[in-house]
Amino acid sequence: MSEVEAKPKANENPILFVARPMATAARQFARSLVRPSTIVYPFERLEDPKFRGQVAVAPGKPIGLGEVWDNYRGVHALNIETCISCNLCAFSCPDLCIDMVTVPGGDPKHPKKCPQIDYGKCSYCGFCSDACPEGCLTMTTRYELSVTKRADMVYSPQRLNEVFRTRLPMSPIRLARPANEDSILLDPPLCIGCNACSRDCPTECITMLDIPKPEAKPGEKFPKRIWKEPVINDSDCVRCGTCISVCPKECLFWGTRK
Amino acid sequence: MSEMWINMGPQHPMTHGLWNLRVKIDGEMILDVDPEMGYLHRGIEKISEDRHYNEVVTLMDRCCYVAGFAWEHLYILASEGALHIQPPERAEYLRVLCDEFQRIGSHIMWYAAFVQDLGLMSPFLYGMRDRDLVLDLFQSYTGARMTYEYMRVGGVRSDLPPGFTDRARQVLDWLTQRYEEYDQLCLGSTIFRKRCDDLGTLKAADCVAHGVTGPMLRAAGMKRDLRRDRPYAVYPQLDFDVAVADGADVTARYLVRMEELRQSVRILRQVVDWLDRHPGPVMAEQLPRWLGAPYAPVGAEGYLLKRNFPKGVGFSSVEEPHGEAQAYVVNEGGEHPYRVKFRSPVFANISAARQYLVGYHVADIPPIMGSVDVCVGEVDR
Amino acid sequence: MAPLTLYTVSNDLVSSLLTALGNAIPNPVGAWLKSPDLITGLSVLVFAAILLAASMLNTILLIWWERKLLGRFMDRRGAMHVGYAGLLQNFADGLKLFRKNTFQPREADSLGFYTGPAAYMVTSLILFGILPISSGWNSGALPLTLLLALAIFSFAPLFIFISAWSSNNKYSLMGGMRSAAQMIAYEVPILLAVVAVVIVAGSFDLTTIVYEQQNYWFWGPLVVALIVFVAGMLAEMERIPFDLPEAEAELVEGWNTEYGGMLFAFFMLADYLRALVGSILVVLLFLGGWTLPTWVPAAATSFPLAGIFWFMLKTYLVFGLFVWVRAALPRVRTDQLLRIGWNRMIPLSLLSIFLAALLVTVKCLPFLGCVPSPGS
Repeated sequence: MSEVEAKPKANENPILFVARPMATAARQFARSLVRPSTIVYPFERLEDPKFRGQVAVAPGKPIGLGEVWDNYRGVHALNIETCISCNLCAFSCPDLCIDMVTVPGGDPKHPKKCPQIDYGKCSYCGFCSDACPEGCLTMTTRYELSVTKRADMVYSPQRLNEVFRTRLPMSPIRLARPANEDSILLDPPLCIGCNACSRDCPTECITMLDIPKPEAKPGEKFPKRIWKEPVINDSDCVRCGTCISVCPKECLFWGTRK
Repeated sequence: MSEMWINMGPQHPMTHGLWNLRVKIDGEMILDVDPEMGYLHRGIEKISEDRHYNEVVTLMDRCCYVAGFAWEHLYILASEGALHIQPPERAEYLRVLCDEFQRIGSHIMWYAAFVQDLGLMSPFLYGMRDRDLVLDLFQSYTGARMTYEYMRVGGVRSDLPPGFTDRARQVLDWLTQRYEEYDQLCLGSTIFRKRCDDLGTLKAADCVAHGVTGPMLRAAGMKRDLRRDRPYAVYPQLDFDVAVADGADVTARYLVRMEELRQSVRILRQVVDWLDRHPGPVMAEQLPRWLGAPYAPVGAEGYLLKRNFPKGVGFSSVEEPHGEAQAYVVNEGGEHPYRVKFRSPVFANISAARQYLVGYHVADIPPIMGSVDVCVGEVDR
Repeated sequence: MAPLTLYTVSNDLVSSLLTALGNAIPNPVGAWLKSPDLITGLSVLVFAAILLAASMLNTILLIWWERKLLGRFMDRRGAMHVGYAGLLQNFADGLKLFRKNTFQPREADSLGFYTGPAAYMVTSLILFGILPISSGWNSGALPLTLLLALAIFSFAPLFIFISAWSSNNKYSLMGGMRSAAQMIAYEVPILLAVVAVVIVAGSFDLTTIVYEQQNYWFWGPLVVALIVFVAGMLAEMERIPFDLPEAEAELVEGWNTEYGGMLFAFFMLADYLRALVGSILVVLLFLGGWTLPTWVPAAATSFPLAGIFWFMLKTYLVFGLFVWVRAALPRVRTDQLLRIGWNRMIPLSLLSIFLAALLVTVKCLPFLGCVPSPGS
């Protein structure tokens, strides 16, 4: 690595003092006569696969995007059927633009909640779709969302589901889970076997197993509890932390399973 | 006409952003200038203290809107230092790929804005057209054209899509041809040379005194480029030259930037070849849980404080397209950085405005300030 | 048969209409309708209306032409949606500007602020009453049309300066100053270059100058004068590379910074009117007006309105040259502009006068061609 001295080329002929830039402009004029580089946007759309096939570009110009346009991070699509109400999208949103709202379909005691996105705040960073463990919240190539009322910027889960039903190309990017992911561990003496974690677990990976009631020694009092303990299936767990937040005794915590 | 102050900005075609240059003029002559910054302050450094390490990346793209990748890289380098994480080599090559394409994009954007200040409209559109190809490449692997959110602590978000390297080579070939056209339209035109030669001179000693860095410093003959002098990522493995010129004027800055565009193409060809030959992981294997991808939240408040993560501070300095940017990140063991501080190169560059503006004509302000390459997003942060 | 001109056409139209009307209506109203004074007056009005419509239409077409050409120079398409290939886009833009609110800065001087654009517009429009577009166009046979046209053309800096000063804006004032300095500096070489043409043609009448070029267009023998004239016209029209008065990079919009809505449209239209006049003058003085070279087959000149067709074609091509320059060259600086004007253009124009005089004396010059003697 060394320095390279940037120097202008040998000085121009002063008589031709405007000829060279004008010749360059004329060359571009001739090229543009065949076809200018612009894409006539509302009529020609790069995200439209039909247009992509026949995209004519200025001669010699490399074609921009092709099929990888599908990676674009636009409006979200939500598949309500596969959403497990795990809250991870709302947790991961840096703009706090995702609210979990109740949608019909859950049982009355345990309502189903799906993300509602306020596009007035969304910055399209894609953290939510990266966090979605089921792949039901993805980002699509739709990018036109001008509205006349601010309230229309809020997309309810049903509206996001409509986007999903249009079958727009969706981002194929799926991120791998890290190898050293933490697990949810139990602090057994604190547990009262209340079943809250198992009831609320979105992936139903927590099963309550009976534990033997120990023999009471004289003078010792057991806390009042159900003699069951949660067992977490790590391979199904999506690490959403719902069990931790619903645990009344704070007996669940993150840690490395031995 | 007697002496008077005029406000060029905050809404003025010359500013290319939101700042105010107060100019004291006598007729057409500049007697004094007084740059005023701060119209675009968003408190990014303070907001960063309330965000997870990876979430801060979303702010970095908004720091400088033409060189988002450079700022992402800057912050990520400092954070990795603070968190003691080593990214895999492929991720570092991908970051250099982002950096250098970003440099091309930024310099072409600079070219477009600069020639437009001189009244040349068509190169402006040529520049925007060619920058679009770079943005297309960015979109193909990050999913966005300006706010990429691509780099993560410990690696990058995703690998390149299939066929990316071929498309990148096509773009590089196209750009190499276009650079010649850029030169013909500017250096080939005597009016351009008459406008820009011996204009806005800032000698190397003054650059050092005012902390002016980047292409302005190299245009003054100072051979300093952080990619070579304080290497980061995989720059030591790459072969490139540092562009310098000795005019210290607007033409010299133009020459330095055009040479850097060519050197970036040279670097990118090596990087693309390397990426073709060496597949591998793009994220570090061992990460703290809250940094892993996919990005999972902390379930219970305060959980991290119970655990002993190593503390640390990270410092990084990066040769951004505008100059030398620096970042300082303090990790006090929490899930958020304790303190984040940035050094913006453009802030120093336009703070020295009095040195290179006084004594010229009012009509010289746009080309001189254009040659500084102002990006107010990073000045005010 | 008297030559068919635009005025005679409108006169015939008005007189036949009024005569028919006057015959139908009993006296004294009928007699008054048939009076020659009324007919003359009305036909002047009709003539002026046709002229106004034609010039405005051409101006708007010229803007369209520039937008399309510039688009291709810049690798884009230009206006393309309103009307065929965007032909009606400028009408839509004008309508939008017409509907906009015109406002005035609080401290501005109302008189100058409002009369400036109007006077600028009117003086630009008057020029179209003088310029002969084809053999059957011009109204009267004034002997000094060229001089009159240039005199009216050089009113502009006055009105620009009035409107700039009365806007009470520092940018406007600087733009107005620059505009005045620039236009006055470039009047001189333009007039001197015109003198070269006048020497060769032997007349100040534009029609005569065109007829003198039936055999030889003046651009060949008078190429130096042509260069000076085109450069001067670029400065007079305030187009890149000489558009310093409205250099948008440093002066926002120069002398019309404070104008919006229809007042801005007035300036815009007047600018393009002047650009049209400049192109027309180049065609008239150097490119043979509506005539074609003798080797062109007669069919090309014999169809109806052939003169106007060829004339407008040449005008639009000349304007295309201005657009080409705009697409390729940066703006010069004020002091450089004035230095070019006084130090380069004036000596060049004096040289062109010398060459013209030489040409008239010796009739032929090597490499430059021959001219017929004046009046032959």
